[in-house]
Amino acid sequence: MPHTLEKRVLLDHAEDPALRTLEGYRRLAGGYATQERAYKEMEQDEVLKELEDSGLRGRGGAGFAMGKKASFLPRGDMAKYLCCNADESEPGAFKDRELMQRNPHQLIEGIAIAALAADAGHAFIFIRGEYAEQADILDAAVAEAYEAGYLGTDILGCHRDLELVVHRGAGAYICGEETALLDALEGKRGNPRLKPPFPAVQGLYGGPTLINNVETLSNVPHIVRHGAEWFRGFGTEQSPGTKVVSISGGVQRPGNYEVELGIPTRELIYDLAGGPLPGREVKAIYPGGSSSPVLTAAEAMDLPYSFEAMAEAGSMLGSGSVIVADDSVSIPHMALRTARFYHHESCGKCTPCREGTNWTVKMLERVVRGEATPMDLDIISSVQQNIMGHCLCVLGDSMAMPVSAMVRKFRPEFEAVIESAGVPGDDPLAVVRGMEQTLGASA
Amino acid sequence: MSPDFDPTPVRLPVDPSLTEGRVPGRAEEEIPELHEVACPPELQERIETLMGRYPDRRSASIPALWAVQERYGWCTPEGIRQAAAVMRVTPAYLESVASFYDLLHTKRVGSHRIEVCTNISCWMRGGDELLDAFKAAAEGDEDFFVTGFECLGACDIAPMASIDQRYYGPLEAAEGGVAIEQLRGGAEVLPEKALAKRGLAGDS
Amino acid sequence: MSPEPRQVTITVDGREIAAVEGEMLHDAARKGDVEIPVFCYEPKLGDPVGACRMCLVEIEGIPKLQTSCSTPVRDGMVVHTRTEQVKHAQSAVVEFLLVNHPLDCPVCDKGGECPLQDISYGWGPGKSRVIDEKRHFPKPAELSPLVAIDRERCILCYRCVRFSQEVSEDAQLQLLERGDRTFVGTFDERPYVAPFHGNITDLCPVGALTNYTYRFRARPWDIENAGSVCTLCPSQCNVSFTVRDEQVKRVVARDNSEVDDGWLCDRGRYGFEMFADAKRIGGPRLKGGAEADWERAIAAAAEGLLRANGKVAAIVGDASNEEGFLVQRLLREALDSPHVDSRPSRGPGAATLRRLAEPAVSAKVRDIDGADVILVLGTDPLHSSPILDLRIRKAIRRNGAKLVVATERPTALDGGAEAIARFAPGQAAHFVSELAGAIRGADNVATPVAETLRDAGSVVVLWGERIGREAGAVEALLDVAAAANVAATEGSGLLEIPDTTNARGLREAGCLPDAGPGLGETAAGMATEEIRAGLISGELSGLVLFGADPLRDFPDTPAWEEALTAADFVVAFSMHENATTAKADVVFPLETHAEKDGTVTHPDGRLQRVRPAASRPGDIRPGFLVLSELAAQLGLQTGVDSQPTAFAALTAAVPFYGGIADSDIGGRGIRWQDRTGETPQPGPQGATQASEQGPTETGATSKGHAHEQVETVGSGSPDTQPDAPISMVQPDATPRGVASGEPDATVPPPQDAGGLLLGTYRDLWAGPVTELNAPLRFLTPQQRLEISPADAERLGLRSGDKVRVGQNGSAIEATVQVKERVSEGVCFLAEGVAPGNANALLNGGPVRVSVEKLSGVGA
Ligand SMILES: Cc1cc2nc3c(=O)[nH]c(=O)nc-3n(C[C@H](O)[C@H](O)[C@H](O)COP(=O)(O)O)c2cc1C
Ligand code: SF4
Ligand code: FES
Repeated sequence: MPHTLEKRVLLDHAEDPALRTLEGYRRLAGGYATQERAYKEMEQDEVLKELEDSGLRGRGGAGFAMGKKASFLPRGDMAKYLCCNADESEPGAFKDRELMQRNPHQLIEGIAIAALAADAGHAFIFIRGEYAEQADILDAAVAEAYEAGYLGTDILGCHRDLELVVHRGAGAYICGEETALLDALEGKRGNPRLKPPFPAVQGLYGGPTLINNVETLSNVPHIVRHGAEWFRGFGTEQSPGTKVVSISGGVQRPGNYEVELGIPTRELIYDLAGGPLPGREVKAIYPGGSSSPVLTAAEAMDLPYSFEAMAEAGSMLGSGSVIVADDSVSIPHMALRTARFYHHESCGKCTPCREGTNWTVKMLERVVRGEATPMDLDIISSVQQNIMGHCLCVLGDSMAMPVSAMVRKFRPEFEAVIESAGVPGDDPLAVVRGMEQTLGASA
Repeated sequence: MSPDFDPTPVRLPVDPSLTEGRVPGRAEEEIPELHEVACPPELQERIETLMGRYPDRRSASIPALWAVQERYGWCTPEGIRQAAAVMRVTPAYLESVASFYDLLHTKRVGSHRIEVCTNISCWMRGGDELLDAFKAAAEGDEDFFVTGFECLGACDIAPMASIDQRYYGPLEAAEGGVAIEQLRGGAEVLPEKALAKRGLAGDS
Repeated sequence: MSPEPRQVTITVDGREIAAVEGEMLHDAARKGDVEIPVFCYEPKLGDPVGACRMCLVEIEGIPKLQTSCSTPVRDGMVVHTRTEQVKHAQSAVVEFLLVNHPLDCPVCDKGGECPLQDISYGWGPGKSRVIDEKRHFPKPAELSPLVAIDRERCILCYRCVRFSQEVSEDAQLQLLERGDRTFVGTFDERPYVAPFHGNITDLCPVGALTNYTYRFRARPWDIENAGSVCTLCPSQCNVSFTVRDEQVKRVVARDNSEVDDGWLCDRGRYGFEMFADAKRIGGPRLKGGAEADWERAIAAAAEGLLRANGKVAAIVGDASNEEGFLVQRLLREALDSPHVDSRPSRGPGAATLRRLAEPAVSAKVRDIDGADVILVLGTDPLHSSPILDLRIRKAIRRNGAKLVVATERPTALDGGAEAIARFAPGQAAHFVSELAGAIRGADNVATPVAETLRDAGSVVVLWGERIGREAGAVEALLDVAAAANVAATEGSGLLEIPDTTNARGLREAGCLPDAGPGLGETAAGMATEEIRAGLISGELSGLVLFGADPLRDFPDTPAWEEALTAADFVVAFSMHENATTAKADVVFPLETHAEKDGTVTHPDGRLQRVRPAASRPGDIRPGFLVLSELAAQLGLQTGVDSQPTAFAALTAAVPFYGGIADSDIGGRGIRWQDRTGETPQPGPQGATQASEQGPTETGATSKGHAHEQVETVGSGSPDTQPDAPISMVQPDATPRGVASGEPDATVPPPQDAGGLLLGTYRDLWAGPVTELNAPLRFLTPQQRLEISPADAERLGLRSGDKVRVGQNGSAIEATVQVKERVSEGVCFLAEGVAPGNANALLNGGPVRVSVEKLSGVGA
């Protein structure tokens, strides 16, 4: 039985493996009835209005209102596209994996309805290549949906067509950035594009394109089925609905928990995830994935888990992924671990991100090795400032924000590490791995 | 460079080998024609089907490279040329795409691929030690490719690894060796640690 | 047609600047003398990418700094480029760029002309805080035999790879790996060999890409730059010679958007070392190669020519307008002979040429940019006028022009074509006349491609001079122009791609058998092939070859061998020793385009000035002086003793050049058609005559012209097969760039005659430009027999097999190359390659060749 703090909408019946099949989805969750009603009885604008009224905010990171974004797409005869962002590569995030693995049809139905709202004839699920198992599940579900007439041509006899392709990525975090995703989907290297033009106006193959996260789209059938009012009954004014939150790191029961937005962070960590491991205390958390500025335990615990509260506290809800660092974790090492990720994943297109991530890693390595001075901490902070707001996309900022927060909030710990590191015969760097060390990718 | 720049010209001897009719070691590579590449028919058919799924055939480049990797174990230059001939793009274009992505290998790798997450959550829970264990167990065996990897999206089962495209966790370091032995013996890998078998966290 | 751009006003750093709505802020600011530093921005490479972030500026009302390279201006925009916030961002970007950039400026070839160096001084932090190790790559590596790459210096601005992707579209140069491990490279570490690849050395803003031909040769402070025009092909690109110690050390582009768009092909860029090759002729020589002083040589030439007693002819190949003008005067006035030509083979008669020269039917290079439809007819620009290949690609990629290709041989442009027609060798005239009919609505073989041309808006037709080797083809082309209504459509017209570098200038200077200067009327003389026949028959005994090498460049080598052997007296002007000069009685040296002073005329009518940049080696004298002295020896005082007097004589004789001053030409040239005031028409009454012909009469007229051509130029018409083998190919509709249009339907030529129908083309790399240029030698083409997969199968041949290709007693050896896009029943060989020149097999009409396998490649 789920904890009473959980409010399962998207994860309802998710424990039942039968939900994965079309038959099970229909039987357990009344699946595809909403698509059928929308296709047969609703106009594009009605669907759009429902989505706009619901106040559903994007679950992929930026939290932009989904209905509003869909309404930006120009009307007309040109080919329009819908892309489901299933790249989920931000450290700490694993909710989309769960949603696709356990309830693929909910996502397909959501895509079908959103395609109606966007008047898109082609949809793609861009799923990260590592999620091979989930992609296989999606492939099977998509085939079933085609077979049953929920996808394809003349869907449900409504003179509406929708092609849905599951497109597997091949291992690059940047492809989660929406314009890089488009380039990758067009068969190129996944480099972000300049904005404007925004994808809603000029996206995939130059056509208007709606891009939404897996969780965002999984919400769509429920909103259209029960209405915007019902949806607004959950969560807060500015963060309506439920959220599947991924909790990991130093907690007893890491995993995905679906809660109403606005629940106290403490309840998420202590009541749902079981709190820190025995004998440990929470030291800091990333409230919204590795790109969110870390909060100290004191700052975090009493905050409501909502978009607005996190923003107000100088951090962000992001994709809704909480990573808990307990008191055994060395923050400078965690900063290095974080920076290494962004350095490895920087696409290399723009200067501040490419060079800034690499320089930051080199400096943090010196910190951890004890080869730095406190002045280097100032340089690290200043370099983070030099990255922020100067890049082509926000990957660079995604490193700069947490790293500068860590240096600022835990400066004494950094200074202590500089002082004590460099013990002969002990490689302090061995404590922090990255792909570079094992792949030799920097050769 | 401003402070270090010294504008005095430095005269270096002209090496005639730099200008005399230098002959390139190998031919340049434009879009190869199909009859030049001996593409296996199944691969050609596969790529053509993939191209047919997209409004623009070039969208099939990643799927086509996956197909090449499946066929040859890695994205071999020959395989890339074959895909390029079918897709009518330059091999350079495909190599450029392949080299961007961590899961596509442009250098030879072992047939069993193990990616061990070393990112924040797994690192906190022993990912580095797990990686060491896998590496030690696979040491010297060319059938195995073991690598540390960025977050695989399974921090709930930290520390974890992806073994031949399936997720396992949470793993004890010792289970690295067990998994390698199971792979060698053709047995099912760590059945009780497969992600597919787990329930929802909130139900436990 | 796009609406008129709107004029707007923006404020940059407190200064009001008039701008055009939609133009990039960086460009608008520059007009107001505000310089915003950039690295990745280069409008010639297509849309901005906003990658380097150097150009960040503050725009009021937008919280984040914006990249000025990618921000279109709007009316009333208020911009700050020197605020603290902006300065901070700019210096941050410079600092980031230097994190991994080595400080080896003193030994870097780019030192002194390096944008990174300049911008670091101007906008950088002045002092580096980086003490960490920089990234390492093996250095320098060989990117191609001509270009070295130092990856440690690369700042990943992507200019070079964008050039390969978006301009030359060869897609060979790519980025590999990701993030700060990214590097510029090629597939499988193969060399980057592509006809335009040298441009990347001009584009690179740091010393990452450098020319081997220039490595350590000179530093910016001990060189001079001299602007001139490259005359290695008809494109006549504007170049700047980097000169040290009066020798050319480097050739770089000198952007002229009316001509070359700022690009150069590798032929023009690296083809300068032949200026000093051992085969260069350094002074006058007599029979057997004996050196002679100028007096003696000129006297010997005069005497020999006089002895011919009027039975003398001249053929001009590569020459300036002034030189061509003097050659025809020498013949017509001093030697009293009307036999002058400047074409390697046959061509249309003077009346047709006058019609072609009418401004109303001519297109200029720039018209390609705005054309709705481009028809490439009987030529492959990549080989025959390389820079126009890039121009056409740009029109398609950036302006959505539709391309129709109609050729014998598959072209480099097929991939971007909307429709492709393949006609068999010998069927050009037939195809073109069918095309005219099809545009007017007839249903025939040309209909599938004609559909794109019907009611198309502006149409630019790039046509190869060589279709004129078939009787009636050019007249039919004029009919196509009439059907497409080019005369009345702004931006429409015909643009010839000639076989020789200054073909238009030489024709207009009077080097034609049936027209004098200005295409004016004159006593008819013999054309090239008749001259050849005349020498063999003894009707002619003397020959002047000015920059022409018939043994390499003209069809029917055996006949030319015979003709030069039969000739009593041959005077050859040549830059280098070759088979032709070996047969000459007197040889005069010629200047290269780096030494020459003179004008040339671009195929679109633009007069351009070739200016001397380097000193003449040995005892070489300007061509116009030698001709003038020779004329004087023969009793003709030309009054030419300098470039200005030579040019004055030319403009006085060519009515439509009349009044053009050197200052009008300046550095950019001037199209004679574009001069303000009255537009003089070519020829005596050419214009009026032609423009009075209504479209309905055109059919009859072109027949008349065809008849005239046969009379004037002789040699009969090729055996035209009615209902010729023309195949229509619809390329797939996929996006361009890396695609290649692939024939999906072909109609083979009749097999009855046995053997394969031979088509030939002039390869970009054939000739002295590769053979005599050490750096380009690796590109020297080997003769390849291109055949279709079906014929290969039938004949049991595979790519790489050695074969003997024969025709009527002549044979050459070649290596088989199976090509999917070659039509069945047809094969192709390159002209001008040595050994195995395809000209040896040609005899004036389409020929069928036999193919005999000599040895195969390993199983
Ligand atoms: C570096 C980077 C990585 C991102 N990764 C993801 C991702 O994996 N999944 C995702 O849904 N959004 C990701 N985003 C956010 C997307 O750009 C985009 O905002 C989102 O897909 C929009 O969907 P939503 O409005 O439904 O959230 C990423 C953004 C950045 C800058
Ligand atoms: S090699 Fe030069 S042109 Fe190419 S990306 Fe590097 S800096 Fe730019
Ligand atoms: S010049 Fe604007 S981003 Fe590079």
